[in-house]
Amino acid sequence: MKYAVIASFLFAAASLTILVLKTFSFGKKELYSEPKGSVKKGIVYAFGKGMMPWEKESAGNHLPTYIGGVLYHGGIFLSMAYLITVIVPIEIPPAVLLIFQVFCGLGIVTGLGLLVKRYSKPHMRALSVPDDAVANILVDIFLIAAFLHTVFPGMTPYFFPAAILMFLYMPFGKIRHCFFFFYVRILFGTFYGRRGVFPQKPRVT
Amino acid sequence: MKEEKIVESKDPLMEKIEQLTPGDLEKALRVFKEKIDHKSAVHLNSCVHCGLCADACHYYLTFNDVESIPAYKLDLVTSVFKKYFSFTGKTVPGLVGAKTFDKEMVKLWVDSLYGRCSLCGRCSINCSIGLNIPYLIRAARGALESIGIVPPGLQSTVDTAVEKGNNMGIAREDWLETVEWIEEEMQDEIEDPEAKLPLDVEGATYFYTINPREAMFFPLSISAVGKLFHAAGESWTFSSGYYDVTNYGLYNGNDEAAGTISDRLVQTMETLGCNVLVLAECGHGFNSNRWEAPEWLRKKYGFEVKSILEVVAGFILDGRIRLDPSKNTKRVTLHDPCNLVRLGGIVEEQRFILKHSVTDFVEMTPNRQKNFCCGGGGGQLSMTRFSRRRIDAGKVKADQIRDTGAQLVATPCHNCIDQLMELNKHYKLGVEIKTVCEIASEALMV
Repeated sequence: MKYAVIASFLFAAASLTILVLKTFSFGKKELYSEPKGSVKKGIVYAFGKGMMPWEKESAGNHLPTYIGGVLYHGGIFLSMAYLITVIVPIEIPPAVLLIFQVFCGLGIVTGLGLLVKRYSKPHMRALSVPDDAVANILVDIFLIAAFLHTVFPGMTPYFFPAAILMFLYMPFGKIRHCFFFFYVRILFGTFYGRRGVFPQKPRVT
Repeated sequence: MKEEKIVESKDPLMEKIEQLTPGDLEKALRVFKEKIDHKSAVHLNSCVHCGLCADACHYYLTFNDVESIPAYKLDLVTSVFKKYFSFTGKTVPGLVGAKTFDKEMVKLWVDSLYGRCSLCGRCSINCSIGLNIPYLIRAARGALESIGIVPPGLQSTVDTAVEKGNNMGIAREDWLETVEWIEEEMQDEIEDPEAKLPLDVEGATYFYTINPREAMFFPLSISAVGKLFHAAGESWTFSSGYYDVTNYGLYNGNDEAAGTISDRLVQTMETLGCNVLVLAECGHGFNSNRWEAPEWLRKKYGFEVKSILEVVAGFILDGRIRLDPSKNTKRVTLHDPCNLVRLGGIVEEQRFILKHSVTDFVEMTPNRQKNFCCGGGGGQLSMTRFSRRRIDAGKVKADQIRDTGAQLVATPCHNCIDQLMELNKHYKLGVEIKTVCEIASEALMV
């Protein structure tokens, strides 16, 4: 079954690549205006300070959600890493296994928490489409399966299908943002960096 | 705040929407697709509906309704994009919320994309992903414009600029007369007959543009800049032909009209042979002419484009003008125009000028790139059907101003000034409102 996991991952990666290439079919526009700031600094800002809660008001004002989001995504990435160790396979020291368990566990709690928040708040519910729930549930199932596998290694017959399902769904719904997120942040940094908006210039004293 | 529903018994725009044919809708979709480049397509694929953008928007903070959440407004656009331009949206539209572009959707677009968005971009910097929401909304506005669905006031502002050469339709003789009498007043005021408002000076270093509202209603803005240029001993000029810094093509999404308007300044620069195109204190005029116009015109400029704030800050820095802050002792705060600051990158210059011009300067909270929109951007001032909403949503700005305890609000934008003047009256703020150059000129040591 591990080859099915690899195949589903390759399917997801290939599909996401095609999706990105497809965006180029809309045309790439050359920029003619004279840059003022630094694109490089803008991109560094976009991936660094620009994501911090003290910099981004939406994160600072919604700290529990922000922290939940960070833990959720941290849990997902570490579960992916754990999946690799199972597929290869790589023996994991108990301390590292504990880290996987902690982050998978936190990922499950925060993932389900974000799902509950989405459907318990009227405004969030109104913003949501079925894909929001499907994506969250598939990822949560993957996290739960990963966590159980860290405790009961015999759970492979459940862990691998959970991964396959998630990978197969990835290009069709919002899970694709795992890839697009990085691209958008680069575009964000490029836009504001080029215009000299971010990072901020030294303040007048 | 509970929003008053906008109900008009006979609404020409709604009647126009009812008369749209399937061919019109197809045309709008075609134009929408043309307006999307690969970056926009990436953005349109990436909203995760986290809703964290909600309280970045002054409309949401005022009305607290779903329709004012930036993600909702954006979703109206992405749902159409998915339906027609994405595999999943075409095959399983219900799963991803893909929606048909029909007359009902057009009505929603009009209400949301024109009526609940000032294209200020505050949602973008607060978006957990970083989506360029105003660009996507402008593209959708452009699609509507292609089938004649634009609130009349906004469209007529663009039409007047294209047809008459400036957005107020000022005739050439009237402009020349205005320059003449402002020049005379300025000379009397500073008791210097050598102080000029030069016109059509070939080879001048700076070609200075204005917002035509200055000529009609705010002549002091013009004489203020004249005094600063004169005090610096700088070579500069107005044009007797095209001088309008504004460009509402930025707001109705018509790149061709926007390009036509901006190209006139480019042509004037080339005719006069000036070195620097200086943009008056106008937020969207700066964004349009500094950043967007080269893209609309698809050409690099052979000259520099600067805000008057950069020029005046340079005069101070180089010691070419001297300012005495003790001439302005009132408490002054600064409103940052979104198009100039968050979208334009002119952030510190206005502060530098004010700190040399007044004794008691106090920042709003938040400020700079994070400042709230006054509510007058995005063409809102020209769309009378949404006036009530605009004033209501301006409460966020009114509260910001009140909290500073300032007696004078400086803002380098005439659109913002118009909105702030209305807010001042409506919310009884009791403040004066001036441009940065007006305040600097009052501090001039001649």
